[in-house]
Amino acid sequence: MRLILVLLLAISGLARAAEPDLLEPDRAFRFAARLTDARSIEINYQIAPGYYLYRDKFQFTLAPAGAKPGAPRLPSGRKHRDEFFGEVETYRGSLSIVLPFELADASVPAIHLTAVSQGCADIGVCYVPHEQRAELRLASLTPGATRSGAAPGLFSGAGSAADDTLVTRVFEGGFWLVIASFFGFGLLLSFTPCVLPMVPILSSVIVGAGQPVTKSRGFLLAIVYVLGMAITYAVAGVAAGLSGAMLSVALQNPWVLGAFAMVFVALALAMFGFYDLQLPVALQNRLADASNRFHGGHTVGVFVMGVLSALILGPCVAAPLAGALLYIGQSRDVVMGGSALFAMALGMGVPLLAVGASAGALMPKAGPWMETVKRGFGTLLLGMAIYVVSPYLPVSVQMFLWAALLIVTAIYLRAIDPLPAAAHGFQKFSKGLGIIALLAGLAYLVGAFSGGRDILQPLSGLRVTESGSTTFETPFERIKNGAELDRRVQAAAGRTVMLDFYADWCVSCKEMERYTFSDERVRARFREMVLLQADVTANNAEDAALLRRFRLFGPPGIVFFDRTGREIPGLRVIGFQPADRFVAVLDQALAFRQ
Amino acid sequence: MRARTLAVFTVVAGLSGAGGVLYHLGSRGSAGPGGDPAEVLERILAAPHTDVKGEARRLGDWRGRVLIVNYWATWCAPCREEIPVFVRMQERYGGRGLQFVGIAIDQPEQVAEFAREFRINYPLLLGGVETIELVRQVGNRAGVLPYTLVIDRKGKLVSRETGGLKEARLERLIQPLL
Repeated sequence: MRLILVLLLAISGLARAAEPDLLEPDRAFRFAARLTDARSIEINYQIAPGYYLYRDKFQFTLAPAGAKPGAPRLPSGRKHRDEFFGEVETYRGSLSIVLPFELADASVPAIHLTAVSQGCADIGVCYVPHEQRAELRLASLTPGATRSGAAPGLFSGAGSAADDTLVTRVFEGGFWLVIASFFGFGLLLSFTPCVLPMVPILSSVIVGAGQPVTKSRGFLLAIVYVLGMAITYAVAGVAAGLSGAMLSVALQNPWVLGAFAMVFVALALAMFGFYDLQLPVALQNRLADASNRFHGGHTVGVFVMGVLSALILGPCVAAPLAGALLYIGQSRDVVMGGSALFAMALGMGVPLLAVGASAGALMPKAGPWMETVKRGFGTLLLGMAIYVVSPYLPVSVQMFLWAALLIVTAIYLRAIDPLPAAAHGFQKFSKGLGIIALLAGLAYLVGAFSGGRDILQPLSGLRVTESGSTTFETPFERIKNGAELDRRVQAAAGRTVMLDFYADWCVSCKEMERYTFSDERVRARFREMVLLQADVTANNAEDAALLRRFRLFGPPGIVFFDRTGREIPGLRVIGFQPADRFVAVLDQALAFRQ
Repeated sequence: MRARTLAVFTVVAGLSGAGGVLYHLGSRGSAGPGGDPAEVLERILAAPHTDVKGEARRLGDWRGRVLIVNYWATWCAPCREEIPVFVRMQERYGGRGLQFVGIAIDQPEQVAEFAREFRINYPLLLGGVETIELVRQVGNRAGVLPYTLVIDRKGKLVSRETGGLKEARLERLIQPLL
């Protein structure tokens, strides 16, 4: 009985979070600050969609007293009419503010920034003036040496740190998007041949009580059962997130990622039916025994059955589940991991709920189509394997792998088999998908053989341009080694120089070119600078020496030199930066005077 | 017996995992309770404020009336939208014991100017850091404006309202209290 109460509480907790979801101010206005050099601080706000900050309401204070803040440089915001104040400017999205400061005593190890901001949400509330703090260490003027003390608490670190790995950025795509995908993923999984056999089990569990079961009671029991299952998966997700957090450094290593990819491939083979992946039979039998001892019909019993069934669930859920866990482990986000797997299990539970609600009357027909779903998962796992190792592979190899995957999938989808005259709608649909996959695969194959350099534009290698066969016009002058760099920087005396480290296999570099360098505001500032680029694709001795000289491990990395030819300390861009923030960095570089 | 131990263990493990998730989801929600509201309300009623004219006031001064405490600010557009409703209702029900009191998280000059312009016919007090802390404790954890407390004649907290209040909702809240 008490258990039901706990569960109801749990459900009401979920419901509460689902209604007008108002973010805590620290989440609505994510705050970070870093020293760009010994006299200015870059303050960043990531404003959640549907929220905004007022331009004229910021207050910045510094401690100790020897540190005096100057006038903050605020970009112009969106203007709109306010009936009381007249014209008001607000910020949405990403905001970068530069706060110059003077320091009377240069020996202090750190300064403390307190930022007060005022903002509102579109749903019709505002926040009281909100205070956020950051500690800025002067001792090491390197990016990332700052600690944002904005959000204390167990899970505060999740997602707020400036991780720039590919996977975290995928996750930044939105919490709810990931949750929804995992829910859909679970729903698909429920149509594999493994989950449906549970339907009769569930029916017997529900009916097991002996007394006649009403529809609402059947539904309630089904919910309890699914929750039992979902909570078990959530625990697994949390564990994966935690282990990923501990392995975070190892996960940057190509060998570890390679091993991950191999595991994905192995799991995919299980989905294609080359072998069966499941818990050892002895363990399964013991769990099954344990679950049999609980008699159906009772809520507690049904809940425990749900928990245990998540463990027993065998041959085909195990592989996608392991894939999902690896994925979460890589993302290192504990909260996300737990919630994502919880959502996945809920998705898996949907058909079971339907069964419960209809007291067994509604049941999808099992059939060979379920094997198709299973193979679909196999394909997905292979795709993940390629994705995980792609940062370490030359583009042509990546293209070849994608081509192979797409073309083989297309053949399985019968892309080139003729359709029978009386083709089923589903057959037509799958043939259509097959042809798309086939054409995309062929494009990648052609790309791989024609020296395409851009995974997003496999055929760009074929494009005929006046300047030859480069992918697109880059305004950079290439340099090969340190001596050449020095010559160019000297020759540029009086102008600011930007040095960009680039490599063909560097995904972030491509994104910078595509999304940031192409921005009109960025281009305007580029015209005032000398732009140099070091292509370290080959990673030969000269490349390595150049990287070592700037203490970089590899691209992407951007370094600036002031008008006298010295590197501007602290003003480096490592990893992808959207145009808004990059423009602010360029402005600082242009304004810098030693 | 062993099966039961196993079951208890799995349930506890499962619930603690779900607890983590719910903690996270819960912390995203709006007004979670923070402390005993009745006790916090006493402190809210006793807290010293100054009004726009610079006089010392406490919310407890209006004990015995049906009290509607509205936390707001002039820069907060959704707060301003509901104020004409408050002015109208103060006019209509003031004689029957209804008392609006606004607490502005704002600069005194701006509040005074706004009060003139909108012809506010109820007392306006100024709030500071302590006010915000009390508001958080009474249940407004995210520190959101507008936020409105409805308190009956005996000084009991009847309702906590986050965001703009519609006239119909306010009517429904106060009618049984008058």
